[in-house]
Amino acid sequence: MVSGSDFLHVEGLSLALGGSLILDDISFSIGKGRYLGIIGPNGAGKSSLLKCIGRLYKNFTGSVSLEGTPLSSMTEKALARRIAWVHQTGSDSLPFTVREFALMSRYPWQKAIGGETLEDREIIDRSLETAGVSDIADRQLNSLSGGERQKALIAAALAQSTDILFLDEPTSFLDYRHQVETLELIERVNKEQGMTILLVTHDINLALHGADEILAIKRGKMVWQGHSAELLEKDLLSEIFETRFESFRSEGQLVPYVAPRGLVR
Amino acid sequence: MKRMALTSLFIFSLATVVVAPFIGMQQISLSDFLGGGDENIMRIMWDLRVPRVILGWITGSTLALCGLIFQALFRNPLASPDMLGVSTGAAFGAVVYIRTGIVFSLFNAVSGLSLAAFVGALAATFAIYAAGNLRRGGMSEATLLLAGVAMSFLFGSLNMIIQFTGGYIDTFRMMRWSMGGIQAVGFAPVFATLPALAVIFAVAFITAPELNLFVCGEDIAASRGVSVVKLRRLLFFTVSIVIGINVATCGPIGFVGLLGPHICRKFVGTDHRKLAVASLLFGGAFLVLCDTAARMLWAPAEVPVGVLTSCIGSIFFLWLLVRAKRNF
Repeated sequence: MVSGSDFLHVEGLSLALGGSLILDDISFSIGKGRYLGIIGPNGAGKSSLLKCIGRLYKNFTGSVSLEGTPLSSMTEKALARRIAWVHQTGSDSLPFTVREFALMSRYPWQKAIGGETLEDREIIDRSLETAGVSDIADRQLNSLSGGERQKALIAAALAQSTDILFLDEPTSFLDYRHQVETLELIERVNKEQGMTILLVTHDINLALHGADEILAIKRGKMVWQGHSAELLEKDLLSEIFETRFESFRSEGQLVPYVAPRGLVR
Repeated sequence: MKRMALTSLFIFSLATVVVAPFIGMQQISLSDFLGGGDENIMRIMWDLRVPRVILGWITGSTLALCGLIFQALFRNPLASPDMLGVSTGAAFGAVVYIRTGIVFSLFNAVSGLSLAAFVGALAATFAIYAAGNLRRGGMSEATLLLAGVAMSFLFGSLNMIIQFTGGYIDTFRMMRWSMGGIQAVGFAPVFATLPALAVIFAVAFITAPELNLFVCGEDIAASRGVSVVKLRRLLFFTVSIVIGINVATCGPIGFVGLLGPHICRKFVGTDHRKLAVASLLFGGAFLVLCDTAARMLWAPAEVPVGVLTSCIGSIFFLWLLVRAKRNF
């Protein structure tokens, strides 16, 4: 194991849906405060893996534990106080303002009837500021551009006050500026707030340059886990994505960028 | 406008309930009422008008609240109790009761017809839930919704078969029942339906934070710590039973449950705590208005209120839709 410590531990996780095996015996660990990028081609099972770990899917076999406690023994609310999510929401209607949505993410901390406390308010203000969406706090989520919306969703996830953040393809459909902003934001919460991050993406460069570690899966099987630099050294990328890659290293950069250069024949 | 919306709705709702009993074939003035002299007038007022207006208000509120919960639960603006087979199931119970010609009542208080309708609603509820649950891999909101729609068609056609085989009088009674109507002599139906309204309002008000999250999707709700499966089951059965009780008393009344919540969203936005209060106030007032119109329009004959709610409501809704800036 790369991390050495057993903060979040996945053991023998398999998921079958409609008779076909989506995830096949996946085991790995990630240390506290680490940033793990889960990569793989379309349909490899990346999002499913994240959903099993976060117990949005419950019909898998194997186990997931957090600091030695099986997640299956935790209540939904207790789990939501540890893990926050930024889902792929695409163009789904979210008929609330940025601030309202952030308040809704305080749900696992709120009493049955109580409404917004002063503490909620402070946490929400801070989260909106961290994500840089304070100025659009009262705008409807449905009226925002893709980039603004993604930052607002991250702000809401931060307002949930967890120590772990799951992100499912957070940069798809974003233009370059918003991709960079979103990634910088994720790195910042990882470095400054010490949040443990699991991020699913099919964008290799994103994962290589943001994450501390990479977990690669292909057709439901775990292919590799390790530091991003090693992934390139071993030339595993072309095997995983069935594509030839060319890498470019700019000055002073440890990890190169890669670009696809045709199919593997 | 939104700040004042709930206050305005409250005044509007209160006003309809207070004024409606004075309107009717026998015009009753305030001085008649306060004077309290004429026994007949007081009897019309307290045995007929007041119970009927209150029953109408309870029914409208109940339907709007049930629709509100179903729309959030299924994330579908078209979800409503009338669409999900519960009402059709109740109608099936009623149709079978009329067709078999058995006559009975429970403690002389609950009519056999109401009881049969309630049993029909319950049967439909369990059938829908079972069908939605039989699928391996659990029940999604979409399967439950589709199971409900399928069940609605199934019961609908069974109803037609039974009507087709029935005699003229039976068939007329069945048809008349399925149009819905607020009829009350005395307060018994009020006492039968009020607890159901209290329950459904409390449920909508208390689970408002969960309903808000449901609207954003199952994944978002689950990742914020909502026990999605448990809560969905609880809401589905509560709404179905409450609707069953109401339909058993008043027959199926369309539109209020479907479009009432949409109209409330126009006034108070998308927060379900406000929507619960708005649906209670608006649903009740709307049905009282429609029922008053139903009593008056072709007096001395009465139009079934279910026919009017759909007619008035749809036109009102289309008008709102056309002048709306924001999409629903």
